[in-house]
Parts: sequence; C-alpha cells; structure tokens
Amino acid sequence: MLQAEALQLLCLTASSGVPLFSRGSSKQLPFSIIGSLNGVHMFGAGHGAQLSSCETEHGSRVVWRVFQESLMLIAVSGGGGSAISELQLRRLLENVWNCMVMVLGQDELANIRNVERLKREVRSCYHLIDMLLERINDGQGMMGYLTQCADCVPLSNSGRVQETLDSFTQAADSEFGCLVVHGRVAHATEKWWSRLAPQEVVVLLALVYSLSGTSSCDYPVFLPQGSPTVAIRLLCFQLLPGVQVCVLCGPKPSLYQAGKELLSRFWSPLLETLRGCLEQTDRSILPPSVNLRWDVQALLLINRESRRAITVCPRVRGGASANATPLLSSARRLELLTHFYTFAVTRYFTSEDVSPASPASEPAPEDFSQGFTHVPVQCYLVTDECKCYGLQSPQHQLYLLTDLSVPTFALRSVATQTLSAITAATGF
Amino acid sequence: MSVLPGSIIVSHWHRFPDSKEFFSRILHKKRRRKFGLLEAPMMPPHMNVDTIRYKVFISGKTGVGKSALAARLAGLDFPRMHYETTGIETTVTFWPVKLKDSERVLFFRFEFWDCGESAMRRFDHMLPSCKEQVDAMLFLFSFTDRGSFEDLSNQISRITESSDRVVKLVVGTKFDLFMHTDVTESDVTRFKEVWGLPVFRVGGDVSAGLGEVAPLLNALAEDLWHQDCIAASSVSIATAALSQTDTEIIV
Repeated sequence: MLQAEALQLLCLTASSGVPLFSRGSSKQLPFSIIGSLNGVHMFGAGHGAQLSSCETEHGSRVVWRVFQESLMLIAVSGGGGSAISELQLRRLLENVWNCMVMVLGQDELANIRNVERLKREVRSCYHLIDMLLERINDGQGMMGYLTQCADCVPLSNSGRVQETLDSFTQAADSEFGCLVVHGRVAHATEKWWSRLAPQEVVVLLALVYSLSGTSSCDYPVFLPQGSPTVAIRLLCFQLLPGVQVCVLCGPKPSLYQAGKELLSRFWSPLLETLRGCLEQTDRSILPPSVNLRWDVQALLLINRESRRAITVCPRVRGGASANATPLLSSARRLELLTHFYTFAVTRYFTSEDVSPASPASEPAPEDFSQGFTHVPVQCYLVTDECKCYGLQSPQHQLYLLTDLSVPTFALRSVATQTLSAITAATGF
Repeated sequence: MSVLPGSIIVSHWHRFPDSKEFFSRILHKKRRRKFGLLEAPMMPPHMNVDTIRYKVFISGKTGVGKSALAARLAGLDFPRMHYETTGIETTVTFWPVKLKDSERVLFFRFEFWDCGESAMRRFDHMLPSCKEQVDAMLFLFSFTDRGSFEDLSNQISRITESSDRVVKLVVGTKFDLFMHTDVTESDVTRFKEVWGLPVFRVGGDVSAGLGEVAPLLNALAEDLWHQDCIAASSVSIATAALSQTDTEIIV
C-alpha cells in the first residue's frame, strides 16, 4: 500500500467516515483505500468486533483507533528495513490525539457540529502532527513519544536552579513551572510532576520544542486529562538558545508583564549557571560525575514512579581499549534501543500504560506474556550488532545496549552496576 | 507621523566600514546570531552603547506571512511549509543604528509579536495582550491575496485608536511571486495617498544578508526614535496639563 519507510496518518469522523485530513511524507493514499480502511473497521464494529491493527508479510502495518466515539485516527506504515512497530504506531495515535485536544480542546473534537469548520480548525494542529510523524524514528535521542515518560536531563549542582524555578513560577501566579534544555526537562516544580499526566507532559514538551525558535510565547492549551475543556495559558521564554522556561498559568500575568518584570529579576543572576548547564548537556546527558563503562553503547533509564526517563547515547568512548570495535552511529544505536524497548515491553515487562483516559480499547498484552504466571524482572537479547539487557525493579526500568565483547554472563552485573552508578550520582 | 527615510539615522549604514564592529556583534558565522532573552550583543566595556527596547505588533490576515516576516527580520530559518500560529509568539532581534546628527550609535532591540488570526478570534485576551504597551505596528498584506490588501483599511481602523501613539507601517509580503500578483502598483500608490503610511515590499529568499531587511528595520528604528523624541519634548507640557487636571479633580 505504501512505500517502505513511509508513514501516513489519516483522520476521519467516526460516525460518517468523512476524511478530515491526511498527513505524512509520502503521497496521499487514494480515496478508495481510505474508504476501505474505514469500511473494514466499520464492518467489524457492526459485528461486535473491534479491529485494532493488521500487518502484512513485509512488515507494513495499519493501526486504527477511535477517540471519544467521534474521530478515528488511522496510521499506515510501509514495511522495509526499519519497520515501525505496532507499539510505536499506537503511541503515535495517542500522541496525535492528545496534541489535537491540547490545541483545540475536547469539545471541539468530541461534539462535531460542522465538519467543514472542523476541517479548517484542525489545520492548526498540523505543525505538531508533522513533528510527531517525523520524529517517530528520529527522536534525536528522545524517547518520550514511545515510553510516555518525560525525557529528562539530570543536572549537577542544581539546587539554586530549582529554587529559582520555584520562585519564578510562584511569581507568575502558577504552580506548574518547568525548565527545558534542548527539549528535555532539567527541572520542574513539584506540582508539574504530581498533577500533570505523563502523556500531557510529553505533548507539552513537544509543543515547547516546536516553539524553540521563538523568544517567548503565550499559547492557549487544553490539558487532555487535567483540563480538556477549559484552556489555560502556556507561557514560555527562551532564556538562552536551547534553554526555555515555561509556566502554565491563568489570566495573569500578561506575557508582556512576565517578560518585562519577572524574567530578568529571577533568571539574570543565573545566567552563567545556565550557560554551564547547556555546555554540560551538549557534552553528555549524564552529569560528569557518572562514569559509564566504556562498553556501554546506549541506555534508557525509566523511573516508573515519577514517569521520567533518561536516554543516553555516548558520543565517544571513554577509556576504550585500542582494539575495541568502533561505536555504531548514534542513530542506529537509538533505533536498536527503541526496538529493544518495544521487544521487552510487549513481551516481558509490564507496560507502563497506566493512563486513566486510555479506554478499554487498548489491546490486551500479547498472549505470550499472558502465559507467564510471574512478572519477569530481567531479560536479555543478543544480536549480531550488540547485546541488550533489560531489568526492572518496582522503581526503575533499565534498557542497556552493550558491545558484543561483553560476555553474556556478565551482562546482568554490568546492568546492575550501571543502574546503581546513575541513581547514586543523580538521585534519579 | 512617518519621517523621511535617512533624515534622522544613517540609511544603509550596514554598508559603511565603521558599522562593521557593531554589525559583527549580531552575526555569527555569517548568519544572524541567536540571542536568548537574557542576552544582548556584547560590546567592549569602553564603548558605551545604549540599547532601547521596542515592542512591535505584526498584524494581518491568516497566511499573509506574519511569522515568516518576524523570522526574516530576525534572520532565522522559517519552515518550508505554512503552519498556523496558534498563540502569541515573540521574536527578539537587535539592530544597530547610527544617528545622523550626534553620530551616536544605538542598539535597537525589537520584540516582534505575532498571533494567529484564529487564535485571536477564539481567545479574547490575545489582541489586548498584543496591544499592551505596543510601540509600533506592522500591517501586512500579501501581494498574492487581494483580500488581504482590501482588508487593510478595515484592519488599521479596527486595531488602532486615533489616540494611540504608535508607529504604523504597511508591509506587502510575497512580492517575489510577481506572476501571481493580485495587487497592482497603482493600488499601492492610492493606498499610500489615502492613509499617508509607507508601504514596504518583502519576499523571496533570504540569503542571510542584511540588505534585505535593512530598509524596513531602519525605517522602523527611525520612526520609533522620532516618536520618542516628540514624546520627550512634549513631556513637560503633558505633566503641566496633568497636574492641572489633578487639581481640578481634588477641587
């Protein structure tokens, strides 16, 4: 249906099947195919069956999902070398829906009064949707779109930054403040973590990232779970190129006031500290106090309680022996990490999907894992490019990619050491 | 209100050798330098260069290129595709200017505000927020969209009040697409006569050169400086008038 590595997203009204939009890099699918995709889903629904996905021999996939009984999103991917997994497509649909709610509000989408008008309104979501489509395989080291955890960057010596963020947020009449470095959360207020759903943080970060070219902004946003029908304001300020501070607030203060009165008062004293943070993250996501083993190729660490994640993909090897094999390209390593995460989550580990809004339509875990009478806590995989090890504790999940040179029997201790080294140094 | 170009500041100053030292502060690797909100061009300590801040609101119909103009003036990349702006966005850019009489150099810090039309329609606080403490407004129309040109007068009278003390300029975008032009030269001339506002034309690729943006930024700087000078000279009168009213209220 589609060329290899192509990806299309379709949106139709659920009841009448009127196409609202279609986005994606490749040529738009013919109307007859769109109609059939809708038809086959409708046929199933008429017989009490819910069609959620299908797959061809060559790895092409179609994933359907109806939101709020009002709109149907369909993702269609071509097969090819780096086929997109079903989990990725499923997350894509969820993120796209959340972005649409964030921009337009749930009322607009759930109660369609005028399809032509909605077609026009929905254009305002294209920027974010296109970004989500582009990033499905090139998250530039960000995996939040897949893990539904906020991508973070732990900073060293950060007490003062946190204090400043707290008082700046308070001064802006808000309890929700967040400091973002290159699209990742460096600091956030306590309420930001405790009151926002992880899916909301993921789409908010996507929005903030899409605004990284502007100096400041005042965007009305609906929170898909916390405030789907009443818009609140997202104020966002670019302190340095690559460093943004944002707050969610009510009618006050105006963007002008906040920019003029609060910004330099709170943040100017920290200019050098922020420059330091930026330099640190340019070098590595992890603070310099963490020494990774040289044979670690990449890792993803998830804090399951706070729903935050760190993705590390070292640029150079520290202290490698002379005959060590060269690092794979970082794009490839991230791809492998994505595959391994998907592999582990769909087969062994409990998926972190705990979103209250996600309805029962979320497919049941694969039969494979249902056969277990226990929850696996560790798993590994050896490929001809790297070795992978995953482990989970009640608090953390670690996905580790290492060189082939690491003996398979040693993987477990490498993983546990890495986990404790990072958590001890960063308190993550 | 608008002043004759080149009467207060040196026009095309970016071409003069003595400007190099200043323009180099807003460039980085032959492109415009990006500044965070906490940053400003760094000058050596012995050179005392003042920076004056102005808020400029970019107004115009959907799709005329408000965000693209802001990006163009700041020397940033703009997306290949048109995306609607669904809130208020600001773009800060610095521009050095040399005053003609005193030969004094100033850094103008323009904060361009733009807001998508549909967001403005849906949310009431957007327009007042854009107009809060605004110093200048750019009214945009697109040469390829006659509707946007015809809407200009309407827009100017709807957004500004006669009492507002703001600099107003009109900018026609997409001038490079002359094959599809929908607005003729005589339309523009007639508009200029009726409204007495200068009309600038922009469009085409930006080769990161300063030449493309210099006329508009210089005109903006000149008009704003002129407006401030008038305001400053009338301050004494204004305060006198104010104190008089005060007394009246008390009595």
